[in-house]
Amino acid sequence: MSPPLLEARSLSRRFGGLLAVAGVDLELHPGRLLGLIGPNGAGKSTLINLLTGHTRPTAGRVLVDGRDMTGARPWRIAHAGVGRTFQIVKPFRGMTVADNVTVAVLFGPGRVRGNRRLGAARRTALDVLDRVGLAERADASPAELSVADARRLELAKALALRPRILLLDEVLAGLRPTEIEAALRLIDELRGAGLALLMVEHVVQAIAAVSDEVLVLHHGEALTRGPAAQVLADERVIEAYLGARYAAKNRSRS
Amino acid sequence: MTNVDSEDPATEVTGVAGTAAAAPVAEVPAPIRPDGLRRALPWAVGLLALAAGFGLQTQLYTGQERTVTTVFMFVGLAAAWNLLGGYTGYASFGQVGFFGLGGYATVVVMVHAHLSFWLALPVAAVVAGGFAALVGWPLLRLRGHYFAVATLGVAEGLREVMTNLPRLTGGGAGITIPTVGPEAPTRWLGNDGFYVLFLLLAAFVVATAGIVASTPAGYALRAIHQDEEAAAAMGINTTVAKTLVFAGSAALTGMIGAAYAFQQVTIYPERLFDVDITVLMVVMVVLGGSGTILGPVLGAIAVAYASEWLRQHFTAGHTFVLGALIILAVILLPQGFTNYVRDATKSRRFSLLENVRRYRL
Amino acid sequence: MTQLVQAGLYGLLQGCMLGLIAVGFSLVWGVMNVVNLAHGAFVVVGAYVAFELHDLFGLDPFLGSVPAALALFVFGYLTQRYMINLVVNAPIFITLLLTFGLQLLLVNGLILVFTADYRSVPTRYAADSLVLPGDVRLPLGRLIAALIAVGLTVALGYLMRRTRTGLAILATGMDRGAARLMGIRARHVYALTFGIAAALAGGAGAAVGAVSTFSPADAGRFTLFSFVAAVLGGLGNTSGALLGGLVLGLVEGIGGQLLPGTLVNALAFAVLVVVLAIRPQGIAGRAFYASRVEA
Repeated sequence: MSPPLLEARSLSRRFGGLLAVAGVDLELHPGRLLGLIGPNGAGKSTLINLLTGHTRPTAGRVLVDGRDMTGARPWRIAHAGVGRTFQIVKPFRGMTVADNVTVAVLFGPGRVRGNRRLGAARRTALDVLDRVGLAERADASPAELSVADARRLELAKALALRPRILLLDEVLAGLRPTEIEAALRLIDELRGAGLALLMVEHVVQAIAAVSDEVLVLHHGEALTRGPAAQVLADERVIEAYLGARYAAKNRSRS
Repeated sequence: MTNVDSEDPATEVTGVAGTAAAAPVAEVPAPIRPDGLRRALPWAVGLLALAAGFGLQTQLYTGQERTVTTVFMFVGLAAAWNLLGGYTGYASFGQVGFFGLGGYATVVVMVHAHLSFWLALPVAAVVAGGFAALVGWPLLRLRGHYFAVATLGVAEGLREVMTNLPRLTGGGAGITIPTVGPEAPTRWLGNDGFYVLFLLLAAFVVATAGIVASTPAGYALRAIHQDEEAAAAMGINTTVAKTLVFAGSAALTGMIGAAYAFQQVTIYPERLFDVDITVLMVVMVVLGGSGTILGPVLGAIAVAYASEWLRQHFTAGHTFVLGALIILAVILLPQGFTNYVRDATKSRRFSLLENVRRYRL
Repeated sequence: MTQLVQAGLYGLLQGCMLGLIAVGFSLVWGVMNVVNLAHGAFVVVGAYVAFELHDLFGLDPFLGSVPAALALFVFGYLTQRYMINLVVNAPIFITLLLTFGLQLLLVNGLILVFTADYRSVPTRYAADSLVLPGDVRLPLGRLIAALIAVGLTVALGYLMRRTRTGLAILATGMDRGAARLMGIRARHVYALTFGIAAALAGGAGAAVGAVSTFSPADAGRFTLFSFVAAVLGGLGNTSGALLGGLVLGLVEGIGGQLLPGTLVNALAFAVLVVVLAIRPQGIAGRAFYASRVEA
């Protein structure tokens, strides 16, 4: 396997008395998708924030393409090729959809390749919107978008950075089954294009469908990792999600 | 597909979109750079306004000329504030600190170093901008009320410091810049001269703001305003951007302060660091429409005139009435005039009470 | 040395009054996220109320703090209910401008009615001092004012934590939406909070009138000192604001001995900026509503 594009080593984050993320290791490789699951409060979003520079780790290292980026500010990490979506979408509400994406084109790493001029940047933005299926809504206000379209915008903003690594934070939440399918197809395309992907999700079937590997986080620690089927059948995982009593019942039934 | 012409689309310098977080979100934001001829139009209008400003001078009496000069000063101040407060969303309540700093830099250059005012002007800009860059480092980490209060504290602190350096600044008793005779490094410009100076300064500030707004920098500032975290995640170096705007806005304000000091000849810390100046600036931008180019200009003209008119007709209680007007205006027109006009013409809803309903508890 | 101790004690007494003024300011900011730039003006209005009552009825100003507080409570309630409530959901500098306009109104109104002359409310005993060992003097007036300040702050703390009204205020401060869903009338609660803050300011103002001179021009200074004390103590933290006032008073008292002229004010602002830069939640620990800090 090729060397990891993104690597976390013993990554930890403490908030006062709470250890939100405790010594997590992970690796992201091009063309592979790592699913990240865990019950609410397990530290998944914090982990993403650590990887993208929105939160400083209290211990551990983050390496992007072999370079140490621990504690780097978010824009430096974006320039290193890491794109992310936010769990609660953060569009620029006063700008059109197209302008939202144009910002990313203008200031992402792609800009050194001639996208500094607004005209060219806007054209690139429209291409990205086309790729995620939002081309028709280019002049709309983000406030008018449906949940699915809002997620698409969030994704477009990340893709406009031309990332080699993409971190998706619960992009499927609240989507209808057909929308989920469409989203998964898109994600599959991205994986096929060689991106290294991390996907935080609660929708278990989705994770099972697209992940090459699944990492389970519980109370900030990596509980277990492995192929989806194996992880999802793991007793400890069931116990973490559904509680010890359910796990015991499940055990006695099988 | 939407219309994208092969020319470089241009920014509309007047009522642009992205005024969101300073004021209510426009119903449907206009794309930041509409296409075609509309790019040249605002610049043409601006040049016309500038020419009109020159022409107006010949029509005014001395007293009126001084009033209009003050209006120009506030246009410049309001436009400079708007870059930081309206576009980037960092509402500074200490802007007068840079105004005063520029003024006292002029004092040092002209009184102590006996150098020309025309040298003092860029020095004032550098001093104010440099100081802003310095204090910006800790201050720009703050948001909202905290930022406003901290900048207010800095301005007040500056005033106290200046008051307590009598050898340098004359302290509370004031200091006089020599403007006549062999002592004077530069002769006093006269009412006519200062009219032109302030007009040019105002034009410079507004033009600078217009240029910033129409370049990718403008996108960055608006992005920071509307969601700083997302902006950072998209590659915008928010620290550098905010510091540059803060310092730039301060430098422009400092230059205007320098001109004011020269105009007033005798200056006191109370006057040059008067908190009311900051508040007037903010009121002008808010009422005119923050986050736009035209807004601060209109707001400055309207409020400055209102203030002068009140001063002449209610000599005793004009500030009282000003206070009442500010309250009314802020309740009924929080998004400012230009944004109100734009939203109302789009949605055909003209009621001012809409605002009240939108923001009330 | 005695001079420093004297200055320090004097500063602490002054600080108690500043603290009381800051408590209301901090409460309003913490609960409603409103920075009331007219807060200092409330203090001065309270002083004038006491002044007039003394002038007309010979009422002792410390006793006059009660009607002053009541008058300002009513004024504060109405102001919040029918004016500030109208812009509560608008961007923050709208409320800043609104309260600034209110300050202009009040200060200039006072100048129109009373002129800008400095006044004070004389009492027979306020100038007397309690003499402590080491020849340190505690002016009686300031001592009484300080005791009143501490007493009122404690009473407020009790009100906030042990009464239904207080709990309603706290709840609304933490989550307005949730509080309303539980039947709390937010408009009324906000008005009540503002009224309480104004009342405290007005009462403090009466005490100020008794122990020193005042004029409408002092309003701005009181407001700014409230900022500093409130931030030092952590927003919404009423006992923290008192602590912040004490620290500020101490700094002013001792600083006034060591630094020339009015530089000591610059020191206060420097403290403010430094605290905001390093520890925005204040030195007294976590602000009540730390989660409501602007993000």
